[in-house]
Amino acid sequence: MHTTMTSLLAADTPTVMTPTTPHLTIEAVTKRFGSFTALDGISLTINEGEFVCFLGPSGCGKTTLLRTIAGLTQQTTGTLIQRDKDISTLPTQARDFGIVFQSYALFPNLTVFNNVAYGLRNRRVERSRIQARVGELLALVNLTGSENKYPAALSGGQQQRVALARALATEPGLLLLDEPLSALDARVRGHLRSQIKALQARLGVTTIMVTHDQEEALTMADRIVVMNHGVIEQVGTPAEIYHQPASAFVASFIGSMNFLEVTAQGDNQALLGTMPCACLSHTLKVGQAAQLAIRPEAVALSRQAGALNGEVIGIEFLGPFQRVTLRLTDVDQTLIADVPSRDSTDLNLYQGQVLGIHLPAEAARLYPAGSSQQ
Amino acid sequence: MIAESFVKSATKPSLESLNRLLALLAGVALLVVGLLFPLVTMLIKSLQDRAGDFIGLANFAHYFQTPALVNSIANSLRVALMTTGVVVGLAFLCAYGITRTCMPGKRLFRMLAILPILAPSLLPAISLVYLFGNQGFLRDLLAGQSVYGPIGIVMGMSFWIFPHALMLLTTALTNSDARLYEAAEALGTPKWRTFLTITLPGVRYGLISCLFVVFTLAITDFGVPKIIGGQFSVLATDVYRQVVGQQNFQMGAVVSVILLLPAVLSFIVDRWIQRRQVAQLSARAVPWQPSPSPLRDWIFTLLCYAVAGAIVLVIGTAVYASLVQFWPYNLSITFEHYTFQGMADGGWGAWFNSLKLAFSVALVGTLVIFFNAWLIEKSEGFRPLRQGLHFMAMLPMAVPGMVLGLAYIFFFNQAGNPFNWLYGTLTILVLNTLVHFYTVCHLTSVTALKQLDPEFEAVGASLKVPFWTTFCRVTLPVSLPAVLDISVYLFVNAMTTVSAVVFLYNSDTRLASVAVLHLDEAGYFASAAAMAVLIFLTSLVVKLLHTALTHVLLNNAQRWRHAC
Repeated sequence: MHTTMTSLLAADTPTVMTPTTPHLTIEAVTKRFGSFTALDGISLTINEGEFVCFLGPSGCGKTTLLRTIAGLTQQTTGTLIQRDKDISTLPTQARDFGIVFQSYALFPNLTVFNNVAYGLRNRRVERSRIQARVGELLALVNLTGSENKYPAALSGGQQQRVALARALATEPGLLLLDEPLSALDARVRGHLRSQIKALQARLGVTTIMVTHDQEEALTMADRIVVMNHGVIEQVGTPAEIYHQPASAFVASFIGSMNFLEVTAQGDNQALLGTMPCACLSHTLKVGQAAQLAIRPEAVALSRQAGALNGEVIGIEFLGPFQRVTLRLTDVDQTLIADVPSRDSTDLNLYQGQVLGIHLPAEAARLYPAGSSQQ
Repeated sequence: MIAESFVKSATKPSLESLNRLLALLAGVALLVVGLLFPLVTMLIKSLQDRAGDFIGLANFAHYFQTPALVNSIANSLRVALMTTGVVVGLAFLCAYGITRTCMPGKRLFRMLAILPILAPSLLPAISLVYLFGNQGFLRDLLAGQSVYGPIGIVMGMSFWIFPHALMLLTTALTNSDARLYEAAEALGTPKWRTFLTITLPGVRYGLISCLFVVFTLAITDFGVPKIIGGQFSVLATDVYRQVVGQQNFQMGAVVSVILLLPAVLSFIVDRWIQRRQVAQLSARAVPWQPSPSPLRDWIFTLLCYAVAGAIVLVIGTAVYASLVQFWPYNLSITFEHYTFQGMADGGWGAWFNSLKLAFSVALVGTLVIFFNAWLIEKSEGFRPLRQGLHFMAMLPMAVPGMVLGLAYIFFFNQAGNPFNWLYGTLTILVLNTLVHFYTVCHLTSVTALKQLDPEFEAVGASLKVPFWTTFCRVTLPVSLPAVLDISVYLFVNAMTTVSAVVFLYNSDTRLASVAVLHLDEAGYFASAAAMAVLIFLTSLVVKLLHTALTHVLLNNAQRWRHAC
């Protein structure tokens, strides 16, 4: 795959754009369906050549936002600007994008060739050039030789690649992917994920992908837009989203997270029960109920009792690490710690064991109480 | 680079939107002119006197003071209720036989059972006269009762309505969940209790819907009571007699309004039921498979084939009657009746007119109805227009043919109507027939379109392909089986209908079904039978061609359907 792709694309002049040129600017877009607000004042800029993921639980508005960008849904208020052109009220046909749907939406009565050529035919391009272009695209998605097959004869992953080739055929400035991998089984999904990402990087086409799968978003995106209830919770690189979640929602939605009920103290401090804990600086008021968020892999366990101790009440074997559930002594709360398999031998884990717990301050964040619930 | 040439062609979004709007407006205009205006004109006529002055409900008062007319209401209700009982009872048993037993020869039975749909409703009436009439060879079976009246009407109607009921109930009984039956069996439930607590509730919506459909068809039918009703008048024949016999258009309008009521009522009930029926069967249901039970299977075989036998007997009698020299005195076989000497201009001209009408309706109607359904289902924007179009598409089901035909006279024959030139042409017959049978085709189209991926249009639009290209290259080919079903439905109905068109033909556009009526009125019974048989055979041939064509298309031209 990679050799064909590289050789093909090497001939192509890559689009040279400074990475900070805005491609699409979304300004205060709101969409209401009756009394339901699907999008609530969304503002966002997507740069040229960027791969952006809209991530969030179902019903968070991510698909509505994508459809608004495509012109398939008309926003109630707000503007959309693509390459300095106001596209807010343009119909779908007049916007510059290609789209791939979760259902593939391949035309079942047309061959792979005709599906990919569908958008080219309309442009009065000579037949030989259409043929060359389709050949080029099919090579790009590694489907050379399938020209005369019908979609029903292809596997799900192959169909999705045809859909991708069809969307790219007209060289759109923007590629929209609406949960493109959700209908596929796990193995194909992982493979296609890296293929799409490599393809996007090489073509340099600005891409927006909607997904509810955090792993997909973390591995593919340059930037992730985490959405919930029609608003943007956080925009950032995968590392920022994972390590510096801006809200309790983001913290709980991405990866595993412990939330301990604490009381905020002065800067960098919180009280867990009666015991002071160090954490990253926060803006909460002293005495305010809060939750302290810490990832299971950041929790350090030791056989020596410390200031904070817990009793092992569950051990799950997960291959590379063991997930240990502990009940904190003194405060009635549970905590999960991921212990790498090679460390677990030192700990000699067993049920009922009491271990010392260390919560590193640089991995502990404070959020207002009750905000992690959606 | 190739890319540049792909981007250059500028799109004209406003043009596309405009085209969509124009198409929608055209669809709305068609039904406004072809349905709403005529109906409104008819309602107004029922409130006017002969001079055209408004007289309120005086016509209705007059109607209810004339016993000869009011009696028809009771008559109509009586035969319609009896027909409903007979048809739904028999159809339920036969549908049960098809779906819930292991009776042999199911396919043959189903083929025989739909034959009546291919014949005009005049055919069974003519056959029944030959079977049970004054000189019928089975007259003694009626034990002295006359077939000319309610008995004949109920028998004739039962014959041609039976297939409609059978199809509805077969569909309803097919949707079963085996898990419920297995649960009942595991709990030791007796068979009769399983039937009452699982089978009947499972089909209740289908059954109620079927009851109303049958009742409506029976109360609005014109062909059967016209031929075999004798002195027994019903609402549909009253409309005809008032208008054609006595030229009393106002009273015709009054009877039409009264005839409209039960049809509208059952339409409302049916819509109401359809709305509740949604997702009664979960997607996880396992279809129930019957296991052999010799006694039960044989009982249902006998029953079904008795019904099929009756159907074959009625059709066979019509065929035989059309071939016999002079019933019952000279039984030698002849084709003389197929020369239609009873008709001044020759019957084959009428047959040819019917053929023209049927092909036109099948072609134009299929495209118009499917395209309109597509506009309603698959386009964005213009919501009020789309909803209005959908509502008007559902309405024809509630309008009996006689009423629609009369409404057309009132509307198109008005002096000063810009569409007046249509009156007496084949075009008005095409329009009338198209509107008359609009609803079923619309529903078939909508069902087919709902099965398509909702994103086809979005993909087309994102690739800057105009919507009509996607319609022609994808939507239409993918929905081809449904489209063919619609066209054959329209063809057969255009061929066999008599109720609406009886008011609208002129000497140049006389139709085969109307010719049956006239030959019968003029006493050329064998020729009437011959014409009815001719209509039946034409429909049969087209139906067979349709089956063959569908088969070929699905196997060859549409290879993609099974490209696995």
